[in-house]
Amino acid sequence: MSAMRVDAKVVMLGKESVGKTSLVERYVHHRFLVGPYQNTIGAAFVAKPIQVGDKVITLGIWDTAGSERYEAMSRIYYRGARAAVVCYGKSTLGKYNKNTIKSKRCYRQVKCKSESIGAQYFETSSKTGKNVGKFYWQLVVSAVPSEAFVSLEETGVDLDQKKDSYFYTCCHNN
Amino acid sequence: MSQRTERRGIHVDQSDLLCKKGCGYYGNAAWQGLCSKCWREEYQRVRQKQIQDDWALAEKLQREEEEAYASSHSVRDPQSAAGHAALAPFSKFEEKKTNEKTRKVTTVKKFFSPSSRTSSKKESPEGKTPSPSISRHASFDTDQVSKDFVEFLKNLHKPGREIHKQCRAFLMNMSSKKDLGADELSECVQDFYQSLADRLTGHFKGSSESVEQVMDQVEKYIMTRLYKSVFCPETTDDEKKDLAIQHRIRALHWVTIQMLCVSMDEEIPEVSENVLKAITDVIEMDSKRVPRDKLACITRCSKHIFSAIRITKNEPASADDFLPALIYIVLKANPPRLQSNIQYITRFCNPSRLMTGEDGYYFTNLCCAVAFIEKLDAQSLNLSPEEFERYMSGQASPRFSSSDGDWPDGAQGVGVAVTNPALAQLNHNLELLSGLCSRQEAVMEAAQSLQADLLSWSESVQREVRDILEKYPLEIKSSKVSAIDTNNVDNENLPSPIKPQVFAG
Repeated sequence: MSAMRVDAKVVMLGKESVGKTSLVERYVHHRFLVGPYQNTIGAAFVAKPIQVGDKVITLGIWDTAGSERYEAMSRIYYRGARAAVVCYGKSTLGKYNKNTIKSKRCYRQVKCKSESIGAQYFETSSKTGKNVGKFYWQLVVSAVPSEAFVSLEETGVDLDQKKDSYFYTCCHNN
Repeated sequence: MSQRTERRGIHVDQSDLLCKKGCGYYGNAAWQGLCSKCWREEYQRVRQKQIQDDWALAEKLQREEEEAYASSHSVRDPQSAAGHAALAPFSKFEEKKTNEKTRKVTTVKKFFSPSSRTSSKKESPEGKTPSPSISRHASFDTDQVSKDFVEFLKNLHKPGREIHKQCRAFLMNMSSKKDLGADELSECVQDFYQSLADRLTGHFKGSSESVEQVMDQVEKYIMTRLYKSVFCPETTDDEKKDLAIQHRIRALHWVTIQMLCVSMDEEIPEVSENVLKAITDVIEMDSKRVPRDKLACITRCSKHIFSAIRITKNEPASADDFLPALIYIVLKANPPRLQSNIQYITRFCNPSRLMTGEDGYYFTNLCCAVAFIEKLDAQSLNLSPEEFERYMSGQASPRFSSSDGDWPDGAQGVGVAVTNPALAQLNHNLELLSGLCSRQEAVMEAAQSLQADLLSWSESVQREVRDILEKYPLEIKSSKVSAIDTNNVDNENLPSPIKPQVFAG
């Protein structure tokens, strides 16, 4: 049971088939599975231990259902989360923006938006693993503030000191 | 009247039919031989006495229990005051129950025995006995848990004693706070967890594993003891919510696996086995007392759902598959006291487990599933509002009216078969039966043609024989009939025939 102990909760948000699970899968298992439908990869909950200095911090990564019909419920998932990762796929945006100029504008919009809410923006590829490690490391650093490294071990996750971090990630699977 | 009864051979004296109080009215056997007016008076009196008796008995039992508790745990006073307060509603309920019982007994018994009044009084303490025995039985579990807890703490030596002392003090403190609302109770328990965990962390020098271990045991011990008073308490509307969600799920019985876009194929035996296990697990949750055990039930249920999806899709499941499947399982299981259980876990579970760990993840999903079921509308099932209304009102059922053509996906025929495994089985069996039927018909036909063949064959044989006989008629030479040896050439060489000899008598 104690193996299930988790220091920081991270929720993955984003529409269906955007590659949330792929991103987790790439990070945790260092693999990228190719299938006809990409959203079926990996388990929904993953506990990932990370070596931080001489301590081991365990990230609890929560996958969420991206379908619109569950949008009203997503609030329930945020509770007690240290960080939220908002995923969107370049390919999904591309659907509406056929030419690159618009696509670039869209990218800028996302970047602007992420800056305006104090989020960090990463462009990652679950297929090649590009930026994934960097992204997660930044996630760990932000979700588990360095001064909390000491106190975390003693008190567990303190909800009052919640410092939410938002991440925008961009996954291109091709 | 008396004449008629005498004719039947049963003697009933006129005076027996009158009210026993002698008021001149006729009495009734159901009212212990009293008239309605006297019975009401009498009944009130007995009732009053009963209330008093019950009260006294309840008090006595309570005292006994306290003494037993005090002698086994060597703690005593603060509980008694709180205990009386808590007892009041219980004994009132008990008294109502016994009154019902005695009345029933008298009405039935009166027909057979004239002295039912005394018997009814004897009955009352008997009717009383089940309740203490039940409470004693329930406390047996609790005692077992306490014993285990003490055993566990023994291994910790000195801190173990300290923990035990704190837990007991906390329980006593809680028993005096029974009137508080659920949220305040929850806060008390959570504060206790927090402060104890802090102290333990200090003691174990940051070994979170040992802290977790102790906290699990503490949670088990405390919540087993508090369960009765804090699960679905009267101060909340948990019970109302339970009933609401139960009715809601019942009203949604028509929701199919396709409407929820669940990727589980119950046609596959392994999948349906996992689905059944998941349903059993989520129902079992209600039977557990400790929040952690309840969570474990949810986790087991979820794992079975994951297996079912993995078998169906041949790939590990993601949250996009899992949540709809869990909703489907909850709809199928309609777990008892669902809201109460969720509230109980939220209020009294150790938060570090609930918030972030795997158990917490599945529990959150269950909460989501319940929220979804509560808010579910036509849009969330990809139905038109009219269809949704028709299904909800029971005017139509997707399983039977799918031929209407309003179905969102094209393959209705398959959908209906998949919808209900029992129905699918039935269809399959019917197909088999009709196959057998046609085969039997074929066999019958073949048999009949064989019979016809046999008949025609024998006829043809006869005809052939006749033909041959006609063609080669049998010629019988009459001369041969006279003697067999007429034309025997060597007649003379043969010895003369033996002549019969006659012997004299």
